[in-house]
Amino acid sequence: MLSVQGVHKSFGSIRAVRGVSFEVRPGQVVGLLGPNGAGKTTTIRMVTGFLPPDDGRVMIGELDVSRDSAQARAKIGYLPESAPHYPEMKVREFIAHRAALFGVARRDRKQAVGQAMDRCQLGAVASRRVGVLSKGFKQRVGLAAAIVHGPSVLVLDEPTNGLDPTQVREARSLIKDLAKDRTLLFSSHVLSEVERVCDRVVMIAGGELRADGTPGELVDKTSLTRAHVIECARAPDPLPILRKVEGVADAKLEALADEAWVRVRITPRAGHRDLREALSAAARGAGLAVRELSIDRPSLERLFAELIERPGAVGVGGGA
Amino acid sequence: MKGTLTIAQRELASFFAIPLGWVAIALYLFLTGGVFSLMILNPSTAATMRPFFSVSAWLMLPVIPAISMRLFSEEFRSGTIEPLLTSPVGDAAIAVGKYLGALWFMVLMLAPTLAHVGVLAWVSTPAPDAGPIVAGYASLVLLGMLYLSIGLFISSLTSNQTLAFLGTLFAILLLLLATTLGADRLPEAMRPLLYAAALTPRIADFAKGVIDTSHIVFFVSCSAWFVLLTIVALQSRRWS
Repeated sequence: MLSVQGVHKSFGSIRAVRGVSFEVRPGQVVGLLGPNGAGKTTTIRMVTGFLPPDDGRVMIGELDVSRDSAQARAKIGYLPESAPHYPEMKVREFIAHRAALFGVARRDRKQAVGQAMDRCQLGAVASRRVGVLSKGFKQRVGLAAAIVHGPSVLVLDEPTNGLDPTQVREARSLIKDLAKDRTLLFSSHVLSEVERVCDRVVMIAGGELRADGTPGELVDKTSLTRAHVIECARAPDPLPILRKVEGVADAKLEALADEAWVRVRITPRAGHRDLREALSAAARGAGLAVRELSIDRPSLERLFAELIERPGAVGVGGGA
Repeated sequence: MKGTLTIAQRELASFFAIPLGWVAIALYLFLTGGVFSLMILNPSTAATMRPFFSVSAWLMLPVIPAISMRLFSEEFRSGTIEPLLTSPVGDAAIAVGKYLGALWFMVLMLAPTLAHVGVLAWVSTPAPDAGPIVAGYASLVLLGMLYLSIGLFISSLTSNQTLAFLGTLFAILLLLLATTLGADRLPEAMRPLLYAAALTPRIADFAKGVIDTSHIVFFVSCSAWFVLLTIVALQSRRWS
């Protein structure tokens, strides 16, 4: 298990990370989400032992990344942003070099390299120099190098940054595959990616933890208004019927679905999160035919914007 | 130890995978070959490799900084320092590994010049004295060790290879000038230190065929000191 416990990091007068804590359980995929400059990379660098925290600690199982540095780092596979590599090395050589650095025994190295290359589908470019590969392939080489020693924790910093849409899809599928048998923490500022890949989201902004939970939990916790959308018959006039329902702040005609049906957007009052039953009952009582009733849940994207603009909009949960 | 050797092997291989390594070797061999043909293979002079060693010592001034400039600077520039420093290999092993890799390269660069010795021995009667030749090569290796350690340290301070090259060249020139020309012009209190740090009298002893243990200890300990400074510089980066 990966446990980040109240880590702080300052660079001169800039407090990059302030008391961030979260846990990642074995087998979990956690997305570290935040805008550029939020402190994601600094947090990840503390997790991987590249930077020591000024305060707090990072634990990999029972190992303190700062105190038991070498043993802890041996359990981590790390792909930094932009997948740095030695361009003059051939793909197989580069991955074998990483395996040797991580102490993979010489007799096991060939097999470990082969498995990592297979997993990342690098067979076709095994004898090519890393420097001449496309960005997508370089990313795969970085991933293969990160998993070659069989780490229990995999940390990826913005793994799809700069890739084209096809490469993003491929990288995403590869990340999902790699997450099957290990703990995975990856940072991103791309919300759709986090939603698709992660079990849990840790949001940081301004160096502070702003939210922690599954995407669904976070959306549920938000103070954002969850509008209700009802598609009902044009007659009798739905607006007065719906406005009378307790908990409805406002009802507006949003669009004419067709000649017989209209769509109405209903804004609930504070504290009234789910008005579907009340709205349905009111419509039934007034003889208003309803063919669709739903809650317009705020997207993770709206939640993210809310968190950046209004710290504290979402409670920080112990989502581990 | 395994990590150190892994890094040293990669470093050595990288010199041969890029033009810089081949260019450095080619230029060095071309220039020393010229010295050998024009100054040593001369029927009217004694069979000695002395001109080769003195010219080689000067050639090391530009060649060694060219070798050392990329050791850390390139890692910083390309970002490969991050996966390197997050591997289980410690900072000391990384610095020593890179140093050893560069040192092996330098030794391989010097190795072909042994052919000059063979040719001289073949054409000369009597054969040249082996003592000054062994001492001469020892002096080149020891001088290279020191220059490389200075270059290693300076490359750990910057991500700019040009800056690392110029910084190393300047530092070596400063050391040479301060301990020779400067020693007599600086305050008397500093003179014993500068005389003790002087390189040229030690190299001159080697040229005479004298292998003095104190000179070996001087070069090895000074080199170790700069490697240690490099380790400190790497560690301080983590805390900055």
